[in-house]
Amino acid sequence: MMAAWRRLGASPWMFAGPAVAASIVFVWLPMASTLGLSFFDWSLLRQEATWRGLDHYRGTLANPDFHLALGNTGLYLAALIPLQVGIPLVLAFALVRVKAKTIGRLYRTALFAPSVLSFPVAAVVWLWLFNPTVGFLNTLGGSIGLAPQRWLSDPSLAIWSVIIVAFWKSFGLNLLIFLAALANVPTDVTEAARIDGTSAIRQAIDIELPLISPALFFALVTTIIVVLDEIVGAVDVLTEGGPYRTSSNLLYFLYERGFRHFQFGEAAAVAVLIAAIVASVTWAQFQFGERHVHYD
Amino acid sequence: MSRAISRRPLILGAAALAAPAVLPRQSLGNDVKVDLVHLWSGADHPIQKLIKAFNDKGTGVTVVSRQDGTTYETITQKAMASIAAGRGPAMMTTGWKLGDFARKTLGAQDFRQIFGPERAEALLAKFRPQVRPLAAVSGVPIGLPWSMSTPVVYINQSLWAAAGLDPAAAPKTVEELYPMVRQLQEKTGKQGLCYEVNEWLPQAFIQNAGGDVIDADSKPAMDSAAAVKGIEAFVQPRRDNLWRVMTIPEMVAAFQAGAIGVMASSSARQSVVRSAAKFDLRLIQMPGLAGHPRRMNSGGNLLAVYSKVKEQQDGAYKFMEFVSSKEGFEIWLETGYLNVTTNDIPVRPGNEAAQAQMEGGLTSETIWPGARGLEALTVHIDWITKIVNGAVSVPEGLRSDREAVEKLVMA
Repeated sequence: MMAAWRRLGASPWMFAGPAVAASIVFVWLPMASTLGLSFFDWSLLRQEATWRGLDHYRGTLANPDFHLALGNTGLYLAALIPLQVGIPLVLAFALVRVKAKTIGRLYRTALFAPSVLSFPVAAVVWLWLFNPTVGFLNTLGGSIGLAPQRWLSDPSLAIWSVIIVAFWKSFGLNLLIFLAALANVPTDVTEAARIDGTSAIRQAIDIELPLISPALFFALVTTIIVVLDEIVGAVDVLTEGGPYRTSSNLLYFLYERGFRHFQFGEAAAVAVLIAAIVASVTWAQFQFGERHVHYD
Repeated sequence: MSRAISRRPLILGAAALAAPAVLPRQSLGNDVKVDLVHLWSGADHPIQKLIKAFNDKGTGVTVVSRQDGTTYETITQKAMASIAAGRGPAMMTTGWKLGDFARKTLGAQDFRQIFGPERAEALLAKFRPQVRPLAAVSGVPIGLPWSMSTPVVYINQSLWAAAGLDPAAAPKTVEELYPMVRQLQEKTGKQGLCYEVNEWLPQAFIQNAGGDVIDADSKPAMDSAAAVKGIEAFVQPRRDNLWRVMTIPEMVAAFQAGAIGVMASSSARQSVVRSAAKFDLRLIQMPGLAGHPRRMNSGGNLLAVYSKVKEQQDGAYKFMEFVSSKEGFEIWLETGYLNVTTNDIPVRPGNEAAQAQMEGGLTSETIWPGARGLEALTVHIDWITKIVNGAVSVPEGLRSDREAVEKLVMA
């Protein structure tokens, strides 16, 4: 082993060095600093730190707003993963079977278009649609006799409004991933199945789905990241986590602690807890999800 | 393709490149650059006109506009990071509610120390005596009290008249206003009323009922009997289905579209509302509560100096002198803020109600004390929102609010 390393000389270090240095400076050192900071009360300006031990962790874990943000994060995941993975998957199976190429392209473009927007921009568009008095959704609902809804200010609806926007904005990317994967399914396999009289549904479930499972797993991993992370832009623009934290999530809770209330020690503790939660979810994904993926 | 370079172009090029380093600094312009961090967007916003008018005077100071966010909290957060990095703003518009934080944490400068007592007094003397304490923290003047607004009632005069209401009626109390709103809603089919759900408008109701959000001893007092009465009056139209609760941007958009008859909001929102409204707009003073003396509140921001560099502090002084002048303040009043100076400037059309409300006396915006004051403010808004949504009764909600806020401000 050592001899092999010696034979390679400095080359591995030269190739890997810049990437390793960047990850140390931009990932590992900030993570270590955050961990350290979580044990102190710290002011950005005075640069003074007061030792607080595990107080910030105890305080955060006992904070009802943290529990609410944690529960909401679970709800966002539970609602958006099936929506953002399941619906694009079904649509992709349908779209590859559209024979008319122009219509197929038109559908793909229309469905993918919202994905090019950033979350805050998408949210601004929806602010107008959600307006309880002059918004399109209530106008449409009113025309069929539905009562007007307070999409963003009703505590039981606000989180679902954010979910609608997140779904609309993000599902196009997964659709594109599935379409690309389905395009790579060998035609001789599907042709053989068709000649054998396999129905389109059986063909999709038993042949195409296993063949695109790496893409499915990739979409699942990235969707979880989007739901845990990027959705915060939509939360901020649409509801600011309200009304009374009912649409907040863990990352928004962290943002509020750190950058609205300027409690950096507490925010660091929240960041460490979020990192632990995300690491657990990712571990579970690879532990239980990847075994169903066929890379052959 | 190759191209030879002769000696002359080579020398000229080298000279052009070396000139900035060799020539005296004065030849490139020696204006002191003073940046002003604010939260107003738009190239035609009065802040840009104000800065341009000052810079055009050629005083040797150039003010640089820096919009760092759209809320006081956001610009404060960014200022905090830039101060920590050693590149803090020279001047920043600082929300009054953040005055305590600005002084104790961000290091907003004491005008008497940086300008000298006499120059500081000369500058502040241009402002009315009743507003000067609003820009001071524990008696220390840390800013120019230049931007003042107050809650007023916006009336869609077209709907008001269509409902058969007296076009000149200006209800003095909410007990007079609410039946009129009911009539408007029933006659026009439009939503009668909308209030802002935040900490500011409810403060007006609490004070007008004789209570306080935070009392003179800096103790939370939002669950006093008077405060409960004030908030009961605040939520009454929601119970009576005259008010469909919505976010502030939704409320403004719906009012501009002519879908709401009456809206209570900041007088500083007037220019924005007026710009898009296609109906006759009338502003009246915020009604009080029957049987109680009026005690309306104000809000806004002060212009504070954060730079510790003498040259920039002097530059900021020159700009503030201009801002306080009649010429400067005439430009600033285009925002919808009130004339808080001693300059004799005619009241802008539409601003009469807010100006009259100020002449009647205004209290300050609630200042949230302690290191966790900003968190206490969030908690307070959450409880007010719960009450407005009917998730909790007014006395119970305000009691829980007081208990939660107490823990934070006493921490």
